[in-house]
Amino acid sequence: MVASSVNQPVVVAPLLVALATAILTLLARFDLRVERVVSLAGGVGYTAVTALLFQRVVLGSESVLPYYLSNWPAPYGITLVADALSASMLALAGVVTLPALVFAVVSVRERGQRLSFHPLYHFMLAGVSGAFLTGDIFNLFVWFEVMLMSSYVLVVFYSGPEHTRAALSYVVLNLLGSAVMLVAIGGLYATTGTLNMAAMARRLGEPAAYNVAVAPTLGLAALLLAVFALKAGIVPFHFWVPAAYRAAPAPVTAVLAGVVKKVGIYAIVRLFFTVFVAAEYANGSALDYVGPVLVVTAVASMVYGGLAAVGRDELEQLLALSSVGQVGFIVLPLGIAALAPNLPMPNGVPGETLAAFGVAAALVYSFNHAVAKGLLFLVAGTLTDVIGTTEFDRLGGIARRAPVLAGAFLLGGLSLIGVPPLIGFFGKLLVFRVGVLAGAAGSGTAARLAWLGLAAALVGAVLTIAYVTRAWNAVFWGEPPKTVEAVLEERWSAGRRESTAAAADGGQFGVTSRRTLAVEAVVLAVLAVTLVGFGVGADLVVEAAAEAGEAATDTAGYVDGVYPEDGIDGVPADGGDHSGDGGGH
Amino acid sequence: MIEIVLAVVFLPFVGAALAPAVYRLLGERTAYYAAGVAAVCLALVTRLYTAGVGLDGGTRYAVDWVPALEVSLALYVDGLALLIAFLASGVGVLVLVYSGGYMHGEPGQSKYYATMLAFMGSMLGVALAGDLFALFTFWELTSLSSFLLIGHYTSADDSQYAARKSMLITVAGGLFMLAGFLLLAWAGGTTLIAGGDDSLVATAGPTIETLRSVGLFVPALLLVGVGAATKSAQVPFHVWLPNAMEAPTPVSAFLHSATMVKAGVYLIGRFRPFFLGAEGGGAHGGGAAGSRGSGAAAGTGGEGAAGEAAGEAAAAAASLLPEWSVVFVTLGLATMTVAAVLAVAATDIKELLAYSTASHLGLITAGFGAANALGAETGAFHILNHASFKAALFLVAGIVAHEAGTRRIENLRGLRHDLPVTAVIAALASLSMAGIPPFNGFYSKELLFEATYELGHELGGTAWLFPVVAVVGSVFTFLYSIKFLSLFLGDRPDGLGHVHRPPVSMLAPPAVLGIVVLAVSAVPNTAIDLLVGSVYDSTVPGAAHGFSIPFPPSKLKPAVIMSAITIGVGAVAWPQYDRLHHGIRRVLAGPVRANWWYDNGVDGLTSGGRDVGEWVQTGLVRTYAAWTIGATSLLALGGYVVGEVGLPALSVPPGMTPAIVLVLLVAVVGAVAVTAAPSHVAGVLTLSILGFMVAIFYILADAPDLALTQLVVETLVLVLFLLVLNRLPAYYGQPSPGRALRDGALATLAGATVFLTVVLSTSATPSEPLSGVLVERANLPPGEHASVFTNYGGGSNVVNVILVDLRAADTLGEISVVAMAALAVLTLIRMRTRGDTR
Repeated sequence: MVASSVNQPVVVAPLLVALATAILTLLARFDLRVERVVSLAGGVGYTAVTALLFQRVVLGSESVLPYYLSNWPAPYGITLVADALSASMLALAGVVTLPALVFAVVSVRERGQRLSFHPLYHFMLAGVSGAFLTGDIFNLFVWFEVMLMSSYVLVVFYSGPEHTRAALSYVVLNLLGSAVMLVAIGGLYATTGTLNMAAMARRLGEPAAYNVAVAPTLGLAALLLAVFALKAGIVPFHFWVPAAYRAAPAPVTAVLAGVVKKVGIYAIVRLFFTVFVAAEYANGSALDYVGPVLVVTAVASMVYGGLAAVGRDELEQLLALSSVGQVGFIVLPLGIAALAPNLPMPNGVPGETLAAFGVAAALVYSFNHAVAKGLLFLVAGTLTDVIGTTEFDRLGGIARRAPVLAGAFLLGGLSLIGVPPLIGFFGKLLVFRVGVLAGAAGSGTAARLAWLGLAAALVGAVLTIAYVTRAWNAVFWGEPPKTVEAVLEERWSAGRRESTAAAADGGQFGVTSRRTLAVEAVVLAVLAVTLVGFGVGADLVVEAAAEAGEAATDTAGYVDGVYPEDGIDGVPADGGDHSGDGGGH
Repeated sequence: MIEIVLAVVFLPFVGAALAPAVYRLLGERTAYYAAGVAAVCLALVTRLYTAGVGLDGGTRYAVDWVPALEVSLALYVDGLALLIAFLASGVGVLVLVYSGGYMHGEPGQSKYYATMLAFMGSMLGVALAGDLFALFTFWELTSLSSFLLIGHYTSADDSQYAARKSMLITVAGGLFMLAGFLLLAWAGGTTLIAGGDDSLVATAGPTIETLRSVGLFVPALLLVGVGAATKSAQVPFHVWLPNAMEAPTPVSAFLHSATMVKAGVYLIGRFRPFFLGAEGGGAHGGGAAGSRGSGAAAGTGGEGAAGEAAGEAAAAAASLLPEWSVVFVTLGLATMTVAAVLAVAATDIKELLAYSTASHLGLITAGFGAANALGAETGAFHILNHASFKAALFLVAGIVAHEAGTRRIENLRGLRHDLPVTAVIAALASLSMAGIPPFNGFYSKELLFEATYELGHELGGTAWLFPVVAVVGSVFTFLYSIKFLSLFLGDRPDGLGHVHRPPVSMLAPPAVLGIVVLAVSAVPNTAIDLLVGSVYDSTVPGAAHGFSIPFPPSKLKPAVIMSAITIGVGAVAWPQYDRLHHGIRRVLAGPVRANWWYDNGVDGLTSGGRDVGEWVQTGLVRTYAAWTIGATSLLALGGYVVGEVGLPALSVPPGMTPAIVLVLLVAVVGAVAVTAAPSHVAGVLTLSILGFMVAIFYILADAPDLALTQLVVETLVLVLFLLVLNRLPAYYGQPSPGRALRDGALATLAGATVFLTVVLSTSATPSEPLSGVLVERANLPPGEHASVFTNYGGGSNVVNVILVDLRAADTLGEISVVAMAALAVLTLIRMRTRGDTR
């Protein structure tokens, strides 16, 4: 675990690319074409640097890459840390955000693009990247705010009554979350004397050496858990999800559901499995406390989200509620892993302990959900662009008229269900496997909760089949109603002739030119192929998730990676004599 | 050989991918292209067979897929695999040729042939998979292709209903099976199914012991069983199969009689040697019971012998009727009988055949369920026999529907006049289905009778129900088989219009199947020697012997008598067929029907989901905030309780002057007054008292910069509030007492949480806190420690250096937030005023 003591630009690159693009697009507002080119170039650059970082940290030999902002050494300045967990999450963001951006360029109304869309989109990416990279909890709060502000404007973007209303509950609940987060961070700072996560882990692990009163930090950690659960949309913190996802433009929703939601998951993993796990409390570790909470909320999410989704007669709402259910599948392995983190795993399991395996399972499922749900929201966006609605009773018979759209939806839906060889299958497989291993090899309450979780996951999966098939029948099969007939008289084909949609009623959907639909179809096809490609080639995803799981649960490695071997030139601080030893928990 | 095995599985997928392009070139003749692909697969399977691969014990080929999970694409060839592969590719050729005639002029052909070929590849994959997860992969792909094919007529409501039903039931069953597989993989430490020393079947004994030791043997068995039962349409999951008849008839013949539905019984056969493998397992349990019996007996002396005998009896019973048999013999016989009865109630020829299929799959399930050699023989042989006669009958039904224009049984009679060749095929196949000697269906049914009789004979008591139920089911089988045959007998009814002659492409495939029926009927033992014998080997634990069928029977075995009873009772009941038909239909109403449960379940799910969703997502911020605040507070308080925090001793902190106390008291009064404010404006004004008191507190605490900030913020917020509130109605609603109580409790909870948090946080005194380190180095007072901040931060004011250097990233982020707030205002105003709400 030798960390390089020289700042490597690749670590900070995702953040810088996103911020720079945001500022440049702000400056390029005079000409939409220039703005689009800058924005797309930034999007490509973002994906490229996240891929590079992934290649360096996950596939390469480096384990923990710190970046000391302004060259202030840890724990005094703000440290960015790219380990396998962060790099995997960033790569996930890179996979989803570029297609969504391309989609947005053709789908979002030009006026909106010229006004503020592109800067906001890239500010959102900056917030996401900062949150994934930072090794400082106050800095995490700042990036949360950046994410919240940008996503708030993007939710309210079209500024109609329903958008404003959705954005209101979004922003009220999330500001509430911000306040709680600030209280918790303040408390943690006062209690442990540091904001640096690695330093916090070290101090919590050796409370006597730093005179830290450990006991209150469990409640403070629980406050943070509530905030992260709010970001992730876990029941009972999910209330803002359906309306906000419906109000935002489709490509934004794709990123909100695919990436921004995962920031909450990432934060849970990072702070609980890497940092708070170091502390010993009166009744066990922090994981002992949050494990049952996570399992119960995951069960509630899977059942509620799935059930409510089945009852929806509108595609975007159905998908939004499905997101509530799907996030339960992501949280479940984390909860089960927290119940018995040190349970050794047999061969053929990516991860040496249940904790590492649980995190890996959550990440594989996250990746699946990011791509599949992103794809599905973009399908809904295409339907809105072409037909002007996503309500079931005004849709039908699309499959024969737009096979690409139908194929994309089918693959996305099947990946949510977990049909092999799509990547969603591996997500389900790992989540189920976490339940089985904890249930069969574990004991007591942990085993019982694992079985409960597994049973609920099965119920949730059946509900997934129910709503995916219901949506499929309503939208893609059946007799097309007049709304569909009017714009898609016959089979729509991207290349061959002027789209009937453009000619349809002159005004309302005039923007959906042939080019628009062609671009949208290509984006959908690319994402659909991604689902298949990463399913057939699941090894890469699973390997990366396994690395990330190991990294997330290796507190000592994280601490050592953040603290350089012999310090860097900087403040000869009193705390400096601790920075040499690898004395983390 | 591995290339051949891989080619068998993946060639159809390649063919499927090319099908749309081929369709553009060849049009409807794509049928023959698809049949050609199937024929190549058939040839490859034949090549494997003639090379003797897998006939004497299986051969496994491993191909890596996801090494990180040790999931491989292992392929395993043995008798059972070869039989299913022969069926998939052989019936595939016939059905695809037949489609060339049947699908003439139908819509969506390019998709149809692509899906058919993809299905064939999936089915070959199921047959040849040697790894649990590879098997699951292909298994789900068959369900998926079935979904698409059932929904072929996409605009018909019935097709949609049927497709969704099949998907819900089979894919959900598959997920349960996956959970079962994971239990097996955990206990066995491997995902390989059979072959070698390291597979589940090879290590059945210890694996089952592990499962039993944690009480997971029965759950694993049931979970795998759910997968098999849903796929093979076993009661009560049989409901999807009759609806699946909405698919074009070639699909019904291929997927829903000959192959896909066989996947379930294939699974049962495949795992039979595993779950029965531990003869050790059964004997072990029995042995333990025996020793317990003797232990107890030792104490009471005289009864020792009796106790031992009871123990031995228990051991014997355990090995004869293990859990495996309890589950699958019961399931199989129940399905066989119930579905046969339902077939008699059918009014549509495809519906009749669908129930009949479920019934015969029940027969195979029951056969595999019986833990004796005869059971395995039944299952192995009937897979072949059923595929031959049932696929033929479906193709016949397709001809009838296509040429006569109706599938209603009551409208169809005397078809032999118009369809003579078809009538001959139908006669052969339906007599075989009825179990009448000397046709092949008779032999396998005899084996079932023998197997169940043996169970009854050895176990006694209620086990005698097994042979009885088998006979009852067979009587109904006899009846509906004859009913199907009668479509071709008698005189043409007047209502029947002109019946066309079928084209050769539609007549040849059922004829081939008819010949297979004839051949197996004529020389059953040759069929067994050629293939069925090694299928049998695949489904029994340990080393196996071949078997043969004595025909004509050398002596009057019980099974022969059972067959005689079946045919006799059937013949007597035949004249009463219509009364039976109507009688059953009268009974079938409401909750008696499994469909009632399915339909109400799905409808209940939809409306229940709608209600729950609407109940939870009220759209009211107040509800949402209440839940969020309540849950957050409880989580945190729970954390404090579990962490066993000690409350710090109350003391007056240093620096607490009367002035500060006074300011804080005013702040408290202001806070209380907010709750009693009669209007928005009054509320905001009172709230600002609180804010200004905090500012004064900062001044008193020697923090002038904070105080300045607080004053500016407080003033601006107050002004903004008043400007905005000016445009809102001044009215405050009166909360109901209940809500006031709830909100009050919630506010108290939240207040307690924050209060506790602050008290606990401020009482902490960690050593070397960051603030301490920084203050020490700040150059206040000037001079001493300036070097660090000026050298590295370029400034001498610690606050400034923190803001613009040490924590510059925070500042950068917050500036971005401010910029976005400006963008937000811009967006809200500009997008709204343009009336652009999309």
